[in-house]
Amino acid sequence: MPNNIPGIMKQKKFTPWMYLLPALIVMATFIAYPAFNTFYLSLRNSSNTDWATAACSAAGNCWGIFENFRYALTSTIMQTAFINNIKWIILMVSGTVALGLLIAVLADRVKYEPVAKAIIFMPMAISFVGAGVIWKFMYNFNAGDVQIGLLNSIVLTLGGNPISWLTEPQINTIALIVVGVWMWTGFCMTILAAALKNVSEEILEAARVDGANEWRVFWEIMVPQILPTITVVVTTMIINVLKIFDIVYVMTGGNYGTEVIANRMYTEMYANYNPGRASAIAVVLIAVIIPAMIFNIRRFREQEETR
Amino acid sequence: MGAEAGDELTLLYQWSGSEEERLNEILKPLVDACGIVLKPESTRDQALLDTKVQAGTPPDVAFWNVAQLVQYEDMLKPMDTLGAHGENYADFFKDPGTVNGKWLGLPVKADIKTIIWYSPVVFEVKGYTVPTTWQELETLVDEMVANGDIPWSMGMESGDATGWTGTDFVQDIMLVQQGPDYVLGLISGDIPFNDAGVKQAWETYGKWATDPIYTIGGAQGTLSTGFLDAIYKVFSDPPEAMMVKQSGFAGGEVASQYPELQYGTDYDFFAVPGAQGLQGGADWLMAFNDSPAVQALIAYLSSTEGGAAWAKASFDLSPNVGAAGNYVDPALVKKGEALATTSGFTPDIGDTIPGGFGSAEFKAISDYVNGADLDAILDSLAAVQAEALQ
Repeated sequence: MPNNIPGIMKQKKFTPWMYLLPALIVMATFIAYPAFNTFYLSLRNSSNTDWATAACSAAGNCWGIFENFRYALTSTIMQTAFINNIKWIILMVSGTVALGLLIAVLADRVKYEPVAKAIIFMPMAISFVGAGVIWKFMYNFNAGDVQIGLLNSIVLTLGGNPISWLTEPQINTIALIVVGVWMWTGFCMTILAAALKNVSEEILEAARVDGANEWRVFWEIMVPQILPTITVVVTTMIINVLKIFDIVYVMTGGNYGTEVIANRMYTEMYANYNPGRASAIAVVLIAVIIPAMIFNIRRFREQEETR
Repeated sequence: MGAEAGDELTLLYQWSGSEEERLNEILKPLVDACGIVLKPESTRDQALLDTKVQAGTPPDVAFWNVAQLVQYEDMLKPMDTLGAHGENYADFFKDPGTVNGKWLGLPVKADIKTIIWYSPVVFEVKGYTVPTTWQELETLVDEMVANGDIPWSMGMESGDATGWTGTDFVQDIMLVQQGPDYVLGLISGDIPFNDAGVKQAWETYGKWATDPIYTIGGAQGTLSTGFLDAIYKVFSDPPEAMMVKQSGFAGGEVASQYPELQYGTDYDFFAVPGAQGLQGGADWLMAFNDSPAVQALIAYLSSTEGGAAWAKASFDLSPNVGAAGNYVDPALVKKGEALATTSGFTPDIGDTIPGGFGSAEFKAISDYVNGADLDAILDSLAAVQAEALQ
C-alpha cells in the first residue's frame, strides 16, 4: 500500500472509539448513570441520608441494606400489584394479540381494508390519559337513578342493576384491562398484518388447490410462517404491560385493589416521598422486564440471520 | 426592613386564577411599599417542588403542605430568625409548623373541616332542626331515614387521593368520641392506630358510609361518587341527600355550581355537634432563603395588618389574630368566628404523619368501605404509623 496517505486517515486502535464516543456519552448520561443511581438509591433510606438498614423497624423482619426490597417484594400491597400485573399480562397480551391477528386476517379479505385498519389503529393516537378519561365516562356509575355511563345505561335498559365497574373488586381490574386491549390492539394488528402480507401467495394457493379449508390454511400455513413476528409482538406487549401505569393512575388511582407495579412506584416516589422504596420497585420491575427483553433481542437476531 | 426596590422574590404555590388574584391583592401593599418584584410560579405538581429543591434551586418561598416542613427540615429557615410575628398566632397553629423545636412554617391560609353543610330551607320544610349534640345528630339521622330521606352524601372519589373525605369524617368522629388529645396521640404515635377508639370511630363511620339507607348509593356510591358531586347532591333540586360533611371550601363549590342559591338560606353549615376543637388544614409558608425580601414578606404576612389584608381579600381563613373582625364574606365571618373561638385545632392526621401514612390511610378507608376486614386494615395502618414515626 502507498505510504503517502496522511497519518490522520489511518485507522488506529482508538479510532473506532472516536466514532462511538457521542453515542457512548449519551448512553452513559441518560441510561447507565440513572440506572446505577436508581440501584444505589434503592439501598438508601427515604431521605437518602443513610443506608436502608436505618429504616428497619425494631419489630419484625429486616433485610438490612436490602430493606426497601423487603417492601418491594413482600408487602401486601406489592403482592396485590404483582398478582394484578400477572392478570394484565395474561389477559391483555392474549387479548391484543388474538384480536390483532383476527382483525389482520379478516381485514386482508375486504375492500375497505385501509378504513377498517385505520379505525382499529385510531386509539393508539390518543394519549393514555385521554383514553382513561373517555373510558371513565363509559364505566361511569351514578348512585342515583340517572346513569350517564354507556355501559350502565345499557345494563339499565336491559333491566339490570347498574354496576360500579371501577370499584367492585374482581370486575375492576378486568374493566381496566379492556381499556388496555382497546388501545393496543391496533398496534398488534399493524405489525401482524405486515407479516401476513409477506406470506407467499403461491403457498396459500397451492394449499387451497390441494383442498385445505381456510381454517387449516390459517393454522398450518399462515401462523407458522409469521410465528417469529407473533413472538416479537408478544414479548413487546409483555414489556408494555409490565410498565402499565397511565390507565390505572387515571381511572382508579390504584384503589379498590387495582394496584399495579408502576403505579406503586409513582405513589412511593411522589405521594410518599420515599425514593428508596420507589427505586427498589424500579429495580424489581427492570429485573422482571430484562428476561423478556433478552428473549426479544435473541428472537430478533435469529430472524435477521435467516434473512 | 432592608428589602430594596427591585429585589426579586421567587414564589411557588398551588393557587391559580382567582386564588392567585387574591394573593396578589393581599401582597399589593408590600409590593408597593418595598418595590419587591414577585416571581411567582403556580403548579399543583409536588414533583416540581421536589425537583427544584433537589436540584439546589428551590424557590425563595413556597406555600405548601405541612408534610414538606418535615421533608425539607434541614433546608428551611426558622421563622423566628426571619422576623415573623409569632405573637399573632395561637400555639395550636404554631405547633404543627414546628419540627424538632424549630418553627419552620407560617400558616397563612386555613380551612376548617369539622363542619356539616345543609340546606336551611329544606330543613325547615321537612321539620328538621340543627343538632347540638352527637346524640341529637344520630337521632336526626334516624328521623330522616324514617321519613324516607337519605341523610348523608358521603361520596369520596378523588382520583389517586380517593378516601380523604372519609378519613376527614372519621377524624371528626374521633374529636367527638375521644377528643383532641387522642388525635394528637395518634399523630405523635403514642396511641397505635389499631387502638379500640380508632376502631369505634371507623365503625361509626362505616355504619353510614356503606348502607344505602344512610348514604347515596351505599358502599359503591360512597366509593364511586366524586367528592364534588357529593356536595352538589345535597343542594340539587330535589336534594338527593340532606347533609354533607365537608370542609369550608364546600360553600364556594355550592356557590359556583348553583349561583342562584343564597348563603344562609339555601346553604349553610353547622359544626359537627359534640366535637371538641376543630380539625383543619392550612397552607404553610416556608422559606428556603433568608434574603431581605423574604424577611419583608414574612414580617408583613405575620403582622396584624397582613392578617387583616388576608381576611379582607376573602381568601379563606387566616390563622393570624389580625384577621378577626375583618372578614367581609358572610360564610367566612361565621367560619372565622368558629376558628377564633375554638378550643383547639388539630391538623389532619394523614397530612401530618410523614412517610406515606396519608396515602395508606386513604387506601385503607376505601378498602374498608369496599368490604375488607377492619381489624386487619387497622393493624396494617398501625404498622405504617409505627414505621413512619420511629
